Amino acid sequence: MEARSFWRGAFLAIGVVAIAFAVSSTHMTGQSSARDARMPGGKPNLNGIWQAMNGANWDLLAHTVRPAVSQPGVYANHPVLAAPVLALGSVGLVPAGAGVVEGNEIPYKPEAAAKKRDNAEHWLDRDPEVRCYMPGIPRAMYMPYPFQITQSPTKIQMVFAYANASRTVFLEEAPKPPADKWMGHSVGHWEDDTLVVHVTNFNDRTWLSRSGDFHSDALDVVERFTPITPDALRYEVTLTDPNVYTRPWKMSMVLYRQLEENTTLMDFRCLEFVEEPFLGHLRKNQLVKHWEGDTIVLDVTRRIPEGDKKYER
Amino acid sequence: MKISARFLLVFALVAAATIFALIQGRTRALRSGGGAEGQARTAWGAPDLQGIWNTNTFVPLERPTQYGTRGTMTEEEHAKALADLQDRNKRPGRDSRDIGGKPGQGTEKDVARAYNEFWFGDKPTKLSYRTSMVTDPPDGRIPPLTPEAAKRIADKREFLAALLQGTSGGRPGPISPRRNDPSPDYNLDRINRSDGPEDRGGPERCFGDGVPVVLGTGTFGGVMQLVQSPDSVSIYYDVGQGSGYSWVIPITNRPHLPANVRLYRGDPVGRWEGDMLVVDVTNFSDETNFHGSRENLHVVLRLKRDNANTLSVQFTAEDPTTWTKPWTATQELEKTDEKTTLVLEGGCHEGNYGLTGLLINTRAAEKAFREGKGPDPATQDNATGGGDN
Amino acid sequence: MRRQLIAAAAALAITAGAAPVRAHHAFAAEFDAKQPVKFEKAVVTKMEWTNPHTWIHVDVTMPDGRKEAWAIEAGTPNVLFRRGFTKDALLPGTAIVIDGYRAKDGSHRANGRNLTLPNGQTLFLGSSGTGAPEEKR
Repeated sequence: MEARSFWRGAFLAIGVVAIAFAVSSTHMTGQSSARDARMPGGKPNLNGIWQAMNGANWDLLAHTVRPAVSQPGVYANHPVLAAPVLALGSVGLVPAGAGVVEGNEIPYKPEAAAKKRDNAEHWLDRDPEVRCYMPGIPRAMYMPYPFQITQSPTKIQMVFAYANASRTVFLEEAPKPPADKWMGHSVGHWEDDTLVVHVTNFNDRTWLSRSGDFHSDALDVVERFTPITPDALRYEVTLTDPNVYTRPWKMSMVLYRQLEENTTLMDFRCLEFVEEPFLGHLRKNQLVKHWEGDTIVLDVTRRIPEGDKKYER
Repeated sequence: MKISARFLLVFALVAAATIFALIQGRTRALRSGGGAEGQARTAWGAPDLQGIWNTNTFVPLERPTQYGTRGTMTEEEHAKALADLQDRNKRPGRDSRDIGGKPGQGTEKDVARAYNEFWFGDKPTKLSYRTSMVTDPPDGRIPPLTPEAAKRIADKREFLAALLQGTSGGRPGPISPRRNDPSPDYNLDRINRSDGPEDRGGPERCFGDGVPVVLGTGTFGGVMQLVQSPDSVSIYYDVGQGSGYSWVIPITNRPHLPANVRLYRGDPVGRWEGDMLVVDVTNFSDETNFHGSRENLHVVLRLKRDNANTLSVQFTAEDPTTWTKPWTATQELEKTDEKTTLVLEGGCHEGNYGLTGLLINTRAAEKAFREGKGPDPATQDNATGGGDN
Repeated sequence: MRRQLIAAAAALAITAGAAPVRAHHAFAAEFDAKQPVKFEKAVVTKMEWTNPHTWIHVDVTMPDGRKEAWAIEAGTPNVLFRRGFTKDALLPGTAIVIDGYRAKDGSHRANGRNLTLPNGQTLFLGSSGTGAPEEKR
């Protein structure tokens, strides 16, 4: 073959490839090349930003749409929106959810079941989420906000957008915690492609949902994370608490990886915003005109919206 | 031109080789960036920054002026400075109930000392030979403020002084009418007023530290846990006073978030340069106060595993609306382990009875004053811990 | 003289740097310097190892023999945990002496300015049985 033809071919190849590569880099995602489905060592790669896509944080059991805070309506089983969410209209509703609990039943002991019902009626006053408190495990995993996993062979760190909560899953020897933790103490190991995590040392301060589901400090949680695809994990949780439940019970759902280009974890920084609800009554000068003691009592004046004034003569 | 089979073969082979080389180069550049020999590496070849890091060796942030442009003490200077430090460690500190040589029980100052030294951890016993953490400018001190920053900081100081006027810790004079003024900036300081939660500084509202974090020394100084993956570094800071917070640094090419998005710990983006992780942080909010720099702060962090036991955290802080030039400081953190140094959950917000207590008790004191049963709270120093006036 | 001043300033700089940057909240706003309390007979009923302040719940025997329940605010438990204590330290039933200041709103809360054992030994240091860690750090 002619030398000239050879070199022409070679240079043309390099040129074409270089241009193609340069063009492709400008469209390249922010991540460091396409994420491998497996880490060095062969385990599934869980790095990235994940989020549940279900209604578990509202209610772990199957439920239809209902007011977040309700009062009796005209019909016994059709409550209506009540203060303080009345003005939110549709935004003040709990959306329907298929439920995440196996058997669609949480096996509360009788006195615990009564407490759960009481909690549910007063959830706005009692749910630690309303105060921007750490949500505990497993609730942090299915809150409607993303979390970021950073996975190394010895530790898996999860940072939650909600309230900057976090947990460390120790894959090697883990120090015994000196006291109980809001987020519990997580020790994990791999069983083939499933990450199994045992969480203990909870305090009794967190809830499992906005529907009053609770536990004691004897709560013991076992989680199993199993990849269905590289970007979706089956997440199964077994909860045991002899103080509250008659037997262990299980919830199951899917966690989805965010695939948007340049996706980033942004803080759901709530602590400043809960000062007005919980400390506003202690201001020297009230921001809210009518405020009675610790209970929110607002004077509401109903205004006819501008557009509807045509019909109100 | 006639394309021969050989031409096509050569084209294909060279193209394949080129693609391969380029991808390898990019992957290496993004994941690890080349390497010095002896560098601890992760399983995917990046420098390993992981571990539990703290410091038990005291280094002041800024250099005492006696050292001039010298970054290192002589043996004699170090021996003297260490002796001075040990002398100070012997002082009773909060354990003392004396104020100015006299029994202090019943004074605001004694109340402000809160509880005793045991709750504040061990005092630093090791002293570095480094004269300062600041390495640039050459005098080891933070550069001068710009005129606009000097004015805004002076304005705030005057506001703080006005609120202390007429109290034991302030200048003499009547109670200032400025007590009814809003703060001239987003207040993060401890001011002598508790009209509402916003009057209390960042720490009392459990805001947590902004970044960059400079750890204190010893058991009260805090620890940093760093977990690393190919595409992110996840840091958890467990610092004194029961605070704990996370900061995730993505290793990415992505641009910064839009300028209207302002975050408490900014928007960090990291990339490897050789064995160093370079983290560019912008998009700070007006709730930032890093040595006087507010939302225009721009920080570049450089993390490097110097050796098995040392993680060097260098940061360059830049803000043309605050400092006349950028400045750089390095903190060398020492490797520790979970047995020696527990990494503990925070919970400042969850346990923040203090903020409620401050407000309830101030309202109670005001009520007592209105009813003639107590002093005017405005005459008390609840900011500096009481003075000698 | 100038050298002494510089040395003093240098020493001060070192000291200033050594002090914790994140100071506790303004206790003087909450607790009343004019209402000191000293409870010679306070028996621990519960320890709340919460951040950012540990709360020690005690039953206090008043001079007239009555018992009152008080909550005493102390420092962050995290420092104690790093000294080797666990949540089982300072078990209920332990007698302690509290020297502190009462909350301005008159509630049964005080800050524990000085916490000691009845024999005068500072609490949390020294003898076993008061939550001293098993191993000397």
